[in-house]
Parts: sequence; structure tokens; C-alpha cells
Amino acid sequence: MPLVHELKAAILVGILLFVVASLRLLYILPSVRKTCPAPRKRGAPTRLLIVLGSGGHTAEMFAILSKLDTASYTHRSYVVSEGDNFSAQKAIEFEDHLSARLTKLEARSPSQSPSARPPEQKNRQAPGKSPSLNYDITIIPRARRIHQSLWSTPISAVKCLLACFSVLRSPSWTALNSADKEMVAAKATYTYPDLVLTNGPGTAVCVVLACLLLKCVGARGTQNKLRTIYVESWARVRGLSLSGKILVRLVDRFLVQWEALKGVGGGRGEYLGVLV
Amino acid sequence: MAQSNQAAEKTKVQKKLCFVTIGATASFDALISAVLTPEFFDALREANYTHLLVQYGKEGQLIFNKYMSQRAEQLSARNNIVVQGFGFNKNGLAQEMRSAKGNKGETEGVVISHAGSGSILDALRIAVPLIVVPNPSLLNNHQIELAEELASMGYVVHGKLANLRAAITESEELRRRQKVWPPVNSGEDPSGRGIAGVMDDEMGFVD
Repeated sequence: MPLVHELKAAILVGILLFVVASLRLLYILPSVRKTCPAPRKRGAPTRLLIVLGSGGHTAEMFAILSKLDTASYTHRSYVVSEGDNFSAQKAIEFEDHLSARLTKLEARSPSQSPSARPPEQKNRQAPGKSPSLNYDITIIPRARRIHQSLWSTPISAVKCLLACFSVLRSPSWTALNSADKEMVAAKATYTYPDLVLTNGPGTAVCVVLACLLLKCVGARGTQNKLRTIYVESWARVRGLSLSGKILVRLVDRFLVQWEALKGVGGGRGEYLGVLV
Repeated sequence: MAQSNQAAEKTKVQKKLCFVTIGATASFDALISAVLTPEFFDALREANYTHLLVQYGKEGQLIFNKYMSQRAEQLSARNNIVVQGFGFNKNGLAQEMRSAKGNKGETEGVVISHAGSGSILDALRIAVPLIVVPNPSLLNNHQIELAEELASMGYVVHGKLANLRAAITESEELRRRQKVWPPVNSGEDPSGRGIAGVMDDEMGFVD
């Protein structure tokens, strides 16, 4: 008799938990309830997480970022899928380009006082010298490899999700000397990314889901962080990619690059023109 | 008289390159085959091309060599075109595209590309005339839409495997009215700053 009672109670608790979780999810979903980011001052340390994909996606992403203002986005974290050697190399080249551009700017306006400079410029490194305190690159396992058997997919998906949590929590400083003073300061400064930017490789789905889960449980230190922007690939002219279809209602902003896609996902698709 | 002959000689030997690229991801034997035909060589010669450079992919060397030797006689009858090939350049193909654009003292040529968005974007940025040839064995591929859309906007020539000769003629027309990429913003962008505006919005930067 008491066993039945316990079972009933367990089921009730289960239902209650499910309802609470669903309500919480609805509450945080950007497509359901739009929240405004809290205002902040430009030049404060910020962490931007960029999800890179295979050839086309990565090429587009660096075209989108070509005018990135490093004074406003002081730390960049790049996420690369396992087995993609090309994207990590491109990220290093891009960072070298940013740092060369900064040197040029400095040469043009030498009168700028050192104290007025954003934090990035103080700990800048010579071009080509990675690792640097200004960026990090993390390789995460794929949720599902091509031709992977179906039964092992849940295991690899969980592995991928765990890797996403870890990359979200803090930049990977492993390649740097941890005794360095600047290093210690940077470790304390940069935790969860303020902004996550992606243009649709498979890994992006994992990263955005991890962000949602963190927000759902209200993880400490995620307040006013982990805002997500998705840019649909320029190659998508008349229909969304699979990642786009999954994420259209889950990200804070959903940008498309062709007029035919304007307003997709129940009016979520924003068309600002071509971004690449 | 002698001088004008010399000038004619000079313009005749000015390098004009046609660069063919199939990208890094998929093979595209049909395109390699289509550009190594006497008909295509004739089209190149008519348009004063002197060089043909083929990026045939990681596994394309055999195919390239096969066609070159099979059609050696027919092609050598049109031997005023220098043909070269290579697999892939790990550092990207921007350099090859620029040489199709033409260095100093060379004539601007053309790029013939598969419908990969990365390759298309590279060529548009360098502003070299571009012929996009979608791969029919990837017909369900959404990238054909990109080729059609860009062609209808007048940025590229949509080339078809069966008639690349016509594509070369069209590309000469395209060259005369080459448009600048990216297009003037046609979207609804209140800030006028594109992605930077959206990012700053989401960060809460107010200034």
C-alpha cells in the first residue's frame, strides 16, 4: 500500500518538475519573451565566442568579422570542430591581421595616452605569436561524425555538450604560463562569453543548446551574458539550413542575408542586406 | 610599320589566364573534362587567352592527366594555350584568383568555379569576372540557388557544363559591366552598420 503512495508521489513530483522546467524554458526563450541587454560601457573587458565551421562557414565568418572593433570586443574565443585543421589556422591569421591593424592605428595616433587605451592593447602580443591573452582556440568533438552508427550518437552528443559547457565557462588558457600576473588577471576577468556569434555549422547547435541550458538553470555568472546571434549562411538563398531551422526560435537574434528569407521562423529572420 | 607590328606582337603575347577551380570538398570530374576539350580551347583562343590553370582537387590528378594524354593530339593542335594543373593550395586560392585578375602588363582573365560559397566570395572580392558552374551530381545542393541568384543580379555568369563556350562569351560581356561587391545595402538596417550594429545592440553598448 505505501509503495503505491510513494509511486503516486514520485509521479506527481515528476510532473511538477516537468511543468516547472517547461515554464522556465518558455520564460528564457528569446522567441517567447524578448529581453533587453543591460547597458554597459564600451571598452570594458568583454568575451566574444565565435563558432567556426568547415570551409565555407569559416570563410564567411571572417568576412563578417573583418571590421571587428577589438576595443569593444577584447577577448575572442574560437570554437573549432574536431578534424577541421583549416579553421584554427584561419583564426590565427585573422588575429594576426587584427593585431597588425592595431599597430597601424597606434602609429597614426601616437598622442593617445596609455591609460585611455582599452585593456586589450596593454597585453597585446607580437603578430604570429599565439597563444595570446586576447584570444583562444578550442577544439570540441563532433556531436555526430559522418557515418557514425546511430547507437553511439547519444554518447558522442553528450561528450560534445560537455565540451561546450567547458568552453563556455572560461577561455582555454592551457597554452599560457599560468604563473604570469596578467594571466591571473585575465582568468579572473573572462568567464562566460558576453556574446556568442555563429553562422550555422553543426557545432553551433550544441553551443546554443548549452547556452540555453545554462540560462535555464540560472547558472551563477551567466546573468546578462550568453546572448546569441545567428547569421544564416550567405549560400542559403531561399531556404534555411538544418542548423538554422533548429535555432531560429532559440537564439536572441537571427539574421538572414537574402530578402526571400526575411521574417522566417514566425517573423524572427532579420534582413540587413548582405553581411559577407 | 615595324613598330606597329611590334605593338601587335606585344598585345598578342600579353598573358591572359583562365583559372578553373573545383574547391577542396567534393570532386568535380565533369568540369575538369569540360575545360580540357578542343571546343573549349577554341573558345579561349577566340577570347585571346594564353593560359589555362586547373585546380583539380586532392584526387583529381589522375583525371587531369588522363584527359590531357587522351586528347593530347587534338589539344596540341591548339598549343598556343599553356595548360597547368595542381591539386589544392592549403593557404587558399586567392593568389591564383589574383593572377587571373592579371598582374601588371597582363590582361584580365576569368575564374571558372564550382558553386562553393567560399570560392565565389573570394572571386567577387577580387572583382575578377566569374563563371559559376554548379555540380550536377550535387543537384539537391542548395548552392545552385546561390549561382542563379547572383547571375540574375548580374554579378556572375551561370555556366553550364554542356556549353562553357557560351559562358566564356558571356564573361567578356560581364567584364565590361563588372559590378562592385558587396551590393549597396538593400536590407532594413536602421543603424546602417550591419552586423556591428546588431552585436553592439546585444552587448548593450549605448553611445
